[in-house]
Amino acid sequence: MSTTAPVQFTPKDYKSDLAPIWCPGCGDFGVLSALFKALSACGVDPTKMVIVSGIGCSSRLPGFVATYGFHSVHGRVLPIATGLKAARPDLTVIGVGGDGDGYSIGGGHLPHAARRNPDITYLVMNNNTYGLTKGQVSPTSMLPLVSSGQKMDPKRWKTTPYGTTEDSIDPIAQAIAWDISFVARGFSYKPNQLADIFAQAIRHKGFSLVDTFSPCPTFNQEQTEEFYKSRTFDVPETHDPTDRSAAFALSVNHDNYPLGIIYKHDDKPNIIDEQAHLRARFDGQGSLQELLARFAAK
Amino acid sequence: MPQKKPTARPTDVVLRIVGESGEGTVTLGDVLVELFTGLGLDIYTFQTFPAEIKGGTVMYQLRTKSGVTLSPGDVSDVLVALNNQGFGLFGDNLRSGGILLYNSDAFSPPVDPTRTDYALPITTLARAEKDKVRHEVSGEQLKRLPAPVNTVGLGALLRLVNAPLEPAEEYLGRVFARKGEAIVRMNISALHTGATCVAEQIGDRETPHVGSRPDHRDRIMVTGNQMLCMGAIAAGLKFFGGYPITPASEIMEFLAKELPAFGGNVIQAEDEIAALGMCLGASFGGVPSMTATSGPGLSLMVEQINLAGQAEIPVVIVDVQRGGASTGLPTKTSQGDLNLAVYGVHNESPRIVLAASSVGDVFWTTVEAINLAETYQCPVILLSEQALATRRSTVPPPMIERVTVKERLKPAEADLGPEFKRYLDTSSGVSPMAIPGTPGGMYTTTGIEHNEFGDPTYTPDTATKARNKRFRKMDTLLVERGHEFVRTWGDAGKVELGVIAFGATEGVVREATERLRYAGHLVAHLHLRLIRPLPVAPINEFAVRCKRLLVVELNYSGQLAGWLRVNTDMTFETFHRDDGRPFSSHDIEDEMLRILSD
Repeated sequence: MSTTAPVQFTPKDYKSDLAPIWCPGCGDFGVLSALFKALSACGVDPTKMVIVSGIGCSSRLPGFVATYGFHSVHGRVLPIATGLKAARPDLTVIGVGGDGDGYSIGGGHLPHAARRNPDITYLVMNNNTYGLTKGQVSPTSMLPLVSSGQKMDPKRWKTTPYGTTEDSIDPIAQAIAWDISFVARGFSYKPNQLADIFAQAIRHKGFSLVDTFSPCPTFNQEQTEEFYKSRTFDVPETHDPTDRSAAFALSVNHDNYPLGIIYKHDDKPNIIDEQAHLRARFDGQGSLQELLARFAAK
Repeated sequence: MPQKKPTARPTDVVLRIVGESGEGTVTLGDVLVELFTGLGLDIYTFQTFPAEIKGGTVMYQLRTKSGVTLSPGDVSDVLVALNNQGFGLFGDNLRSGGILLYNSDAFSPPVDPTRTDYALPITTLARAEKDKVRHEVSGEQLKRLPAPVNTVGLGALLRLVNAPLEPAEEYLGRVFARKGEAIVRMNISALHTGATCVAEQIGDRETPHVGSRPDHRDRIMVTGNQMLCMGAIAAGLKFFGGYPITPASEIMEFLAKELPAFGGNVIQAEDEIAALGMCLGASFGGVPSMTATSGPGLSLMVEQINLAGQAEIPVVIVDVQRGGASTGLPTKTSQGDLNLAVYGVHNESPRIVLAASSVGDVFWTTVEAINLAETYQCPVILLSEQALATRRSTVPPPMIERVTVKERLKPAEADLGPEFKRYLDTSSGVSPMAIPGTPGGMYTTTGIEHNEFGDPTYTPDTATKARNKRFRKMDTLLVERGHEFVRTWGDAGKVELGVIAFGATEGVVREATERLRYAGHLVAHLHLRLIRPLPVAPINEFAVRCKRLLVVELNYSGQLAGWLRVNTDMTFETFHRDDGRPFSSHDIEDEMLRILSD
């Protein structure tokens, strides 16, 4: 009698032949290797998964993974991933992109992904700037206000040469408010923790958002590796992620950012299961002949 | 009251009902459609709605005859005016010698000797009917019980066109059964009251006979939007993502109800961008996908239509065109989105644009749309129009056994593996498409220019080869099937005048052509089902047999004419307007005559 052991995939099995086009020192390298580890830990079959991305430095990630990928247009990761998951619930669907892609041009899709709660893992590589277009203010940039009178670096932040006139958004607090069913934050320079967060996000049934601080060494000299090393702390073990108020309280401290799983809503209904129920209710009853007969002129 | 027996032979009768929206005008029209269909007649309708949420004037035109019906009719034989405003707005197309049935409780039309007027104090009569049953219903029911205004009108109208009242009695019995015997009795009495009121005024005059056709023929009574949905289901649609917009919402509503039974999904997205994005995701996953919108929504989809062209993802985008730019004339009809459908793209990528022409045709054009998207792995824009989408018509049921479903090309076992080329440069331009889950088929699709593996590449050589490959699919389509996407009508051989048109003008152009042929002119009509890529060969074959050519379309600047100028060397005259109304066949005939006689 022989038993077939389940096929195991090592992190290396997920590596494609394409070399990443990112700048040396880019935080996204850390995200990519943490993703390899997480996929391996979860035993995800690379032929049965799709990575969907938008446009931006980080959105080039699907090409660097030996799996199916969909590098789409700016900001549309979530609708594309939702349609894919709805049509193919058997696939593991992972969305990736940057803070501009996910919170600015694509920001309108997030609350709707939250209320649909499809089983998709969304990894945002948050570098607090637009890297691909060479360093403009993003919705998560933390720039001095015009009124502060602070001088800006003349080589960077060229769309806000006198400082910013807008506040930044807090994706974690926003996600908790929208009841995204798994909300976490990682840091690309804490690779083991990041891989663990990714693995938990992939295993989570429902929509998960992991916002990862992924510093841009080329265009953001403020939110650097060192900046985040001194401004982050691990989510305390006493934190109960199912306590929404506690999660919100934890997220809104903007001097010191918690790393780890901040919020979870495990039993939240999801569109994929609901659609499966619907198909099951009418299973095999579709008949075009009968449909046409309903319109018969009598 | 002796009732004239309906003549056995159906005649061509056009009825037009105008009144306040939300007060039963549409219901009255729909009931007539059902009753006339029951008499074996063929029906063709045109409805125009106000854009207000409630209120405003609505017009319901209904043509009944026997056999092929190509238009809702140019002039009406009977006009039913329920209020003065409707009479003023839509009363102009009554033919000389026609009949006006008006609500004399609401207004008195100016005297006009070219028509015969029938006064119907519809509110007074209906109230009296309600009074008759007042003591038989509970106080609560009485409060909510409307006076049977529509039923009085129905009786009057049926009598006026010499239709039998018995089917209407049966209908009222069925519809009001739930409300109790007294209400049924009130409605049947109201029906006869309306009929009697008209009968007393008819005297010895002749009024139209709708007639009847007792032979049983298989027919269905459907709208264009309903037929479109059934075509999509027939072609194997499995995913629909949409966002509500007039006049396309009915497509999503229909599919939300029916598609689950066929194993499909419908998601109402947060906007049109998300709607098309969902379709692209689903299609990448391997299932035939479709969205439906109108012009404003199509504008929002343009970026991802280009992605679908570049990344070679099959998808169908239905555009039910409506009138005007911006919010424009949202409840009226137009062919004004041709340019957007054909040119709406940054840079260039291949796409297919089809146009549906009638309630019967839209079934097959939708089957084609899904099959073409799957075959050529590209976006297909299917143009419909408000007038066609909301029209109820009797049509023969489509012969669904003739539907063939085409699947996208999948890689052969030998193609799979580390060297799998998703974008293999083939002689047809069509490459095998692996769907996720296929071992050895892994690739990343992308809008970035890419080599045969799908890997981003920016070299001029690759860019040229890759684009040529994608556009080659359109050449393949024209070579393989170009001639199937035009229909010709009218005289064969050399003609004095040929008309080129697309979309829902087919019926009126055919009618105009037939009338001119009957009058002794040599005329023909080429109707385009495929707009892009333009089937130039059959167009040229048509053009060489026409001494003069006329391009007819329902938009402001002559968009089809422009597209023909880009693609052919033909010279032609143009006829176009865009005011929210469809063309009548007389509009087309007059224009054709003008050219024929100069």
